[in-house]
Amino acid sequence: MKEVRYEPPQWMLRFFKWFCRPELHKYLEGDLLELFDLNIEQKGLRKARWKFTLEVIKLFRKDIIKPVDGTQKLNNYGMVKNHLKVSVRSMLRKKTFTLLNVLGLGIGIASCLMILIFVQNELSYDTYNSKYDQTYRVLQRFGGEIATSPEDQLPVSEYQVWGNAPVAGAMMDFFPEVEHVFRFTSDFDWLVEYNGNRFQEKGICFADSTLYQVFEWDWIAGDPKTALTRPGTIILSAAMAEKYFGNENPIGEQMTMDGDEKYEVTAVYEIPPNSHFDYPAFMSMTSFINMRPQIFENWGYVDFYTYFTLRENTSIASMETRIPEFLKQRYDEISWYHLRFEALADAYLNSDAKRQPGPVGNSSNIYLFISVAIFILVIACINFMNLSTARSMERAKEVAIRKTIGSRKSALVVQFLMEATLMTSIAASLALVLVIVGFPYLELLVGKSLTVSGLLQPVNYVLFVVGVLILGLLTGSYPAFVISNFKAVTVLKGSFKSSKNGVWLRKGLVVLQFSLSVILLVGTTVVANQLNYLRSYDKGYDSEQVLVIDYGWDNKVQRNLKVIKSALAEHPSVQAISASRATPGDFFPGAGTSIASKNGEMLGFSPALYEIDEDFIPTYQMEMVAGRNFDRRFPADSATSLIVNEAAAKLYGYEDPKEIVGKKFSQWGREGQVIGVVKNFNYLSLHQEVEPMTLRYSTKWTTSMLSMRLNSQDFQETLAELEGIWNGLAPHYPFVSRFNDQNFNRQYETDARFGNVFSIFSGLAIFVACLGLFGLTIFSTAQRAKEIGVRKVLGASVQKIVALLSYDFIKLYLLSLVMAIPASYWVMDQWLDGFAYRISMGWGVFVVAALVTFFVSMITMSLKTIGAALANPTKSLRDE
Amino acid sequence: MGKYQLGEFEEIVLLTVGVLYGEAYGVSIKLSIEERLNRSVSVGALQSALKRLEEKGYLLSKEGESTSARGGRPKLYFTLTAAGRDAIEYARKIRNQLYDEIPKVALDLKFAL
Repeated sequence: MKEVRYEPPQWMLRFFKWFCRPELHKYLEGDLLELFDLNIEQKGLRKARWKFTLEVIKLFRKDIIKPVDGTQKLNNYGMVKNHLKVSVRSMLRKKTFTLLNVLGLGIGIASCLMILIFVQNELSYDTYNSKYDQTYRVLQRFGGEIATSPEDQLPVSEYQVWGNAPVAGAMMDFFPEVEHVFRFTSDFDWLVEYNGNRFQEKGICFADSTLYQVFEWDWIAGDPKTALTRPGTIILSAAMAEKYFGNENPIGEQMTMDGDEKYEVTAVYEIPPNSHFDYPAFMSMTSFINMRPQIFENWGYVDFYTYFTLRENTSIASMETRIPEFLKQRYDEISWYHLRFEALADAYLNSDAKRQPGPVGNSSNIYLFISVAIFILVIACINFMNLSTARSMERAKEVAIRKTIGSRKSALVVQFLMEATLMTSIAASLALVLVIVGFPYLELLVGKSLTVSGLLQPVNYVLFVVGVLILGLLTGSYPAFVISNFKAVTVLKGSFKSSKNGVWLRKGLVVLQFSLSVILLVGTTVVANQLNYLRSYDKGYDSEQVLVIDYGWDNKVQRNLKVIKSALAEHPSVQAISASRATPGDFFPGAGTSIASKNGEMLGFSPALYEIDEDFIPTYQMEMVAGRNFDRRFPADSATSLIVNEAAAKLYGYEDPKEIVGKKFSQWGREGQVIGVVKNFNYLSLHQEVEPMTLRYSTKWTTSMLSMRLNSQDFQETLAELEGIWNGLAPHYPFVSRFNDQNFNRQYETDARFGNVFSIFSGLAIFVACLGLFGLTIFSTAQRAKEIGVRKVLGASVQKIVALLSYDFIKLYLLSLVMAIPASYWVMDQWLDGFAYRISMGWGVFVVAALVTFFVSMITMSLKTIGAALANPTKSLRDE
Repeated sequence: MGKYQLGEFEEIVLLTVGVLYGEAYGVSIKLSIEERLNRSVSVGALQSALKRLEEKGYLLSKEGESTSARGGRPKLYFTLTAAGRDAIEYARKIRNQLYDEIPKVALDLKFAL
């Protein structure tokens, strides 16, 4: 008989051998093989192999798998278990130590994560667009020489995001790379009405129907492709839709704009929160074209933001080289017109172009935040290392015993690394809880909703775990190697002192910690000072107690403006009243303006334009530096006069503002003479220098606001009375009022929030540093308990002992100041450079920061040192 | 079950080892149970039960001869210990007792249903 031996699956056999208890293996393998042979006879090879595999898998069970401890009890599993046990016991035994460490590290990690969330969110702006990298916007500039090559171009800060309408179409024709173009106008206030609900809405724009091709928003209702094609259509943000329609379907409903125009709602959208602009509604551009078609041919009328996307496999670089060619095509018409392109990727964080469509972030703030995050983590790690090393004295005996009974050094290292890793893991869990609990507060603090979806990816979970492990190894490494180095003989003999190197390192780390705290405090103080400075800066006008009523160009109000103005002026609290198109801090147009230069040539630029009446300058208490204000006694003022600011005088070539008075000007179809120069006033944010501006007399239809200087004890009452007067005269328009300084300060909200976030995290960092200092004090006083006892017995006073204990720290502290002051000066000087109007850092800032850290750390230490000094010496000396 | 802890499957295994007197090892026990009770028994389940029974002191294991079959692996034979025999008897006694105490009516009723 031919003997054919069939083999069961070999890898299953190997697998079985791997997991089976060694003492059972040979019998069970025998059983399995016997059954396999039996099954071949009865059921055939294929089934037998299958059965075999099944049996092996079923053998994978508790009584048959070899225990994790190992069967011999001589390998590392048991040791690991023991390490873990010892770690937990030592952590439980020293509750203060554990608490300080876990709390410090936990807060440190949590702060780091929160900052990471914030930073990631700042970096994620506009990335929801799938053509994010291929989307650009047109920056425009008016006046000056044309650049002949891209290298000669002026910096972005000389340009504005805001420009004319025809450039979009012209670019489409000239650059084949451009795939889609999308424009929207700057926002206006509109009186919106639906079903008797009437509100004045800020920030409604006209937008091209190509919106959906460039920006990928969430479309909640309606078809984005056709939503903005027809005139008389409007699309609403979800919030706005809810405000007017509640739960009803708004599609197809008619909303009344400015009292008479009907717009049909065609879609509802939601702009993702990480977008660089956000508007409540857009009306179709075609409506605007029907209203004022001439604007769409005019290269000097600036009211449009233009975005475009590139076709695939084309680059912006080649487009940029052809800009001069593009401009030359239109050279005759627009010799003062320039443009350049800016990537959507730069729009939020890296753009310093003027006239942004929404708030912009600040990349230097991002760097500051990242530094704070690193500082906090470093401080927390230093705490850990310092406390562990300080505590090494207590662990010395344990180490010595372990060594005596035969522990290898490597086992001790592992033991201490394990302890550190266990501690960081617990701290990390605490940190996660803190982040989850603290997240809503973070959102409140930064004033916007944060998207975390980008962070919640498996790869980040892995990174987090790996990070925590690395942190554990890192923080544990120093104590591990120090402690494991102790000589058992010296320790057990009792003549043991911790090593010199260890002490030095510990001192070095304390110095570093102090330095970081001082730097953070200096940072916090500088940020706060700068923000205060901005708030109290002499803006060139007095905005306090100026109440602004905004009636959004309403025709009826404008028709009755004289009556309304005089009626409001009669109120005893109203000292002055003025009507204008915009007020400081508001949006306002730029206007192509030519003014005769010294040699008589007409120079064209596009400075800002304020349209005001003769009461505007007195109401805001601005100063004239040359010429005169508009005056009722000169009727021609309303048509042929222009006031400019100092910056504009300079722009047109007049160093001495007096010289520009009397020069010819031409602006938006008006011609005449410059009659006066107003002192520069900050109508934009103080991040920027004062820009050139022209002020001309407003005609009947160009005002939208009334500014009133109030002198009142009870603003609430005055406001109510003024509202009463208003409602009597203009019952059709809601009374929309605000104080001008609020309006102006709104521009600093981002700064203020940044200041808050910065100071809170700095505070946390300093708190963590204090935790560490507190811990160190505990150990150093414990170590010196006997010395203190002896000194007391010999008659030292409590003060002397406290001073003695603090002396070491004071030395370290002074050293840290030497390091921290130049470092913080450098960092904060960089940050301040982002402001056009900035404080200079005097010594005061450093003195304050130094004193605060000094007192906070002294208080922290004295919590323990005083106790030690007061303690009864008999206690510490008893066992000697 | 008082002092004798015995699960249902364990009891069957214990009984089978007794039945196979001297010839009880993994495969023979498995095949025997499968044949008599018409239920499939995995090697894993059987080994767990055998191990537990051995730990309880009801079984004794002994390495048998190596043969060229089984890939040269020896068999592990099981025999009942005195405690094992006591456990079986105890279980049987309890069951008989319980059976005897069932009123006849209950049994009749069961058939009637």
